[in-house]
Amino acid sequence: MISDITLGQFFPGFSLLHKLDPRTKLITGILFIVAIFLAKTPLAFLALFLFTVAMILVSRISFSVILRGIRPVIYILIFTSILNILMTKGTSVPLVDFWIIEIYREGIVRAVFMTMRVILLIVGSSLLLTYTTSPISLTDGLESLLSPLSKIGIPVHVFSMMMTIALRFIPTLVEETDKIMNAQKSRGADFTSGSIVRRAKALIPLLVPLFVSAFKRAEELAVAMECRCYRVDKKRTKLVKLTFHARDLLSFLVFALFLAGIVLISRMPASMLGGGFIARLLCYRI
Amino acid sequence: MHSPRCWGVMCVYKLELKGISYLYSKNTPFEKLALSEINLGFEEGKITGLIGHTGSGKSTLVNLLNGLYRPTEGTVLLDGKDIWENPKQIAKIRTQVGLVMQYPEYQLFDETVRADIGFAPRNLGLSPEEVERRVSEAVAFTGIPDALLDRSPFELSGGQKRRVAIAGVMAMGAGVLVLDEPAAGLDPRGRREILDGVRAYARKNGLTVILVSHSMEDMALYCDNVIVMNRGRVYASGTVDEVFSDADGLMEIGLNVPMVARIAAALRKKGFPLEGTLYTVEGVKDAILRLGKEGRA
Repeated sequence: MISDITLGQFFPGFSLLHKLDPRTKLITGILFIVAIFLAKTPLAFLALFLFTVAMILVSRISFSVILRGIRPVIYILIFTSILNILMTKGTSVPLVDFWIIEIYREGIVRAVFMTMRVILLIVGSSLLLTYTTSPISLTDGLESLLSPLSKIGIPVHVFSMMMTIALRFIPTLVEETDKIMNAQKSRGADFTSGSIVRRAKALIPLLVPLFVSAFKRAEELAVAMECRCYRVDKKRTKLVKLTFHARDLLSFLVFALFLAGIVLISRMPASMLGGGFIARLLCYRI
Repeated sequence: MHSPRCWGVMCVYKLELKGISYLYSKNTPFEKLALSEINLGFEEGKITGLIGHTGSGKSTLVNLLNGLYRPTEGTVLLDGKDIWENPKQIAKIRTQVGLVMQYPEYQLFDETVRADIGFAPRNLGLSPEEVERRVSEAVAFTGIPDALLDRSPFELSGGQKRRVAIAGVMAMGAGVLVLDEPAAGLDPRGRREILDGVRAYARKNGLTVILVSHSMEDMALYCDNVIVMNRGRVYASGTVDEVFSDADGLMEIGLNVPMVARIAAALRKKGFPLEGTLYTVEGVKDAILRLGKEGRA
């Protein structure tokens, strides 16, 4: 069924990650992403990996859910890795030199690091933002963080309201699509076979009712909001006020220290670890 | 729990459910049992009502009848054959069991009313003449004036849209017609027009009809047999008279029993031995009058 599609799914819970202020999660999320891009050596990646595992454990979200989140990008990762391996020209002697294929050590290293970066990026940001933060509190946090921009005339509140509404209606529209699909299937419509042109044409009986109902819904929602005196230009109070707690301060500190640690580790010379083969491997700079 | 109007080999079930259970979101934390141990038969050429409280499993059952859902356990038999025998042919089953969903007007999409009603026959790959014939037959049911047939379906009134949507399923020419709350949200006149139209069409074409509704009044007026669902199980089944004589039990499972049926039940509780059809105003009136005469005699 189409409703099995997960779109940035939120898993309700009571872990430390769930309780953090959404603004904290947005900022530490950015710090984490910066850390991923400042990591230059295998040792730094090891640290990133351990930190991510620790976050998963703290969030109490099962590893199978995390793996399911990575699955959609696997083919893209394989494709770009192959491109990286084939297209990167190194300075040393190629490892493989066959016909038009030249594979250099640099290409392989680059592919491995890119893959790790993307995976960490997906796991880290979905852990902090989508899995443990409800869409509503996420937009609240975003609005609060961007609110200084409204001083220079950017309608931050309008954007956040639009985002909230869009997020709110994704499940509704998915359900609606399912319903219309079933109704048209009951009239002998076929969405799954035939040529591309035929299939595209088969979507018309699905898309027309979907758009009609989306417009109708939008109109009804607008009327309902106006009936409750909603005005864009008026300042609104919040039902849930965002407040920072000690745990938010603590998280900022942890992430800032972690970021500094990654930068330091990436610059650490192999000699500091004894200078042996493993030390040199761990401190190999990309 | 078969319909008691059937006697052994004499019985002709157009559609039959055997040992059906249905689980939503199987193998996930959101797993939910919607139907269990359903054994039912729908008699050929009859109108069978399906009634039950919200969440009793009516709509799930309806989606099983034309193969939109596959039962977790059990079989659905159409003319004695398992509809899931060959899962690749399930689209064919859907053309033999016409399903009209709740609020079906959202399925309208085509440029004209005529083209929209012709969607199903066109999908069947019929010749243009045959499509035209089926459309005009279904149009007769809608009672929509010819002048509107070449207009957009979105210009019609609510009741007209509903009738066009139902006609769109009728035009498929299925032997079984399943209607999920076809009169929901319409005024009393709109309800009557739709249900009268469905009954006339079904009788004329010898269709087997399954009519889902909340309203016991509708059931009493339009159905031959009734099935009552409660919490994913069959609570009762039989003829309208048999099932609706148990007003107390139906009220207990949260059904909206007609006011007269409640009065009749209350009177019986007070010791008045009313008998006969106790769910229509006419029936209760007759019963009370009969009792009065007997009392005087």
